[in-house]
Amino acid sequence: MNCVSKYPQLSETYEKVRILSFEEKKAAVSDENKMNTLLDAILDLKKMISHKTEIIEELITELESITWIDESGKNELMLINDIVSSLKDFRSTLIRFYVSMNFIREKGIAKTEINQFKNAIDDLKEMTNDLESRFFILPSMPEFQETTKELSLV
Amino acid sequence: MKIYCLQEFKNQYEKLVRKNSYASVETDIIEYFFNNSIEQLASGTRLNNSNDTPYIKKRLKGSGGYRIYYLLIIKDDNVYLMFLHPKTGSMGYDNINDETKAFLYKKVLESIRTKHLFEVFVTNQKLYFKNINDI
Repeated sequence: MNCVSKYPQLSETYEKVRILSFEEKKAAVSDENKMNTLLDAILDLKKMISHKTEIIEELITELESITWIDESGKNELMLINDIVSSLKDFRSTLIRFYVSMNFIREKGIAKTEINQFKNAIDDLKEMTNDLESRFFILPSMPEFQETTKELSLV
Repeated sequence: MKIYCLQEFKNQYEKLVRKNSYASVETDIIEYFFNNSIEQLASGTRLNNSNDTPYIKKRLKGSGGYRIYYLLIIKDDNVYLMFLHPKTGSMGYDNINDETKAFLYKKVLESIRTKHLFEVFVTNQKLYFKNINDI
């Protein structure tokens, strides 16, 4: 463009816009790539959190099945006690991971997956308490034991 | 299979079903208890040490759902619904304590003996309770 104007500002602005337009076209491709990388990372994060949730849910089902084993001897109770301790440790680790995702959650990223993960952690805590109830606390209540005996005669 | 419930269960159910956020509780109970055999109902967390009369805590509808406590008397093909609570929402809470678990267990035994029970039945996909002394 070789138009001559008495206002050099026009030529300068024109030159500026021309360069910006060209640079933006060049950048668009790489910006799109960056956005795709970010979206892929978010998808990977969602998958990773969902996978952890599934593992916890499967573990809870396995723990439920333990409550159906018949009266246990000292060795079994010791193992169950170890399981309870490990579960508490496991939960602490999961909680730390959950807290580490606070900044992601606050930005609304993977909100559903993070909430489901938190619910699974809460259920794991509930299941751990129930295991303790089933094998250690309720059996130590004489009235509870008496009720079991009496129900078998109903 | 016959399904009975304690007064505690009926009271809690009636409170929940009145709230819109827990409206699904009726369908959830019908689907689980009226579409499964007693053998299939013997799943979840067993709180006592009996295969013949298991005292069960069931997670209904997963994490954010309900917790239902019930007793099975396998030889009689009878189910006794004892208590339920949601995990989330205005009436939700995490768990009941051990004293309450023990109280409900004793209460179901007394209620079976004294026949202070309601029979639970379904008509047109609706849950109804009938005092067994009126039957």
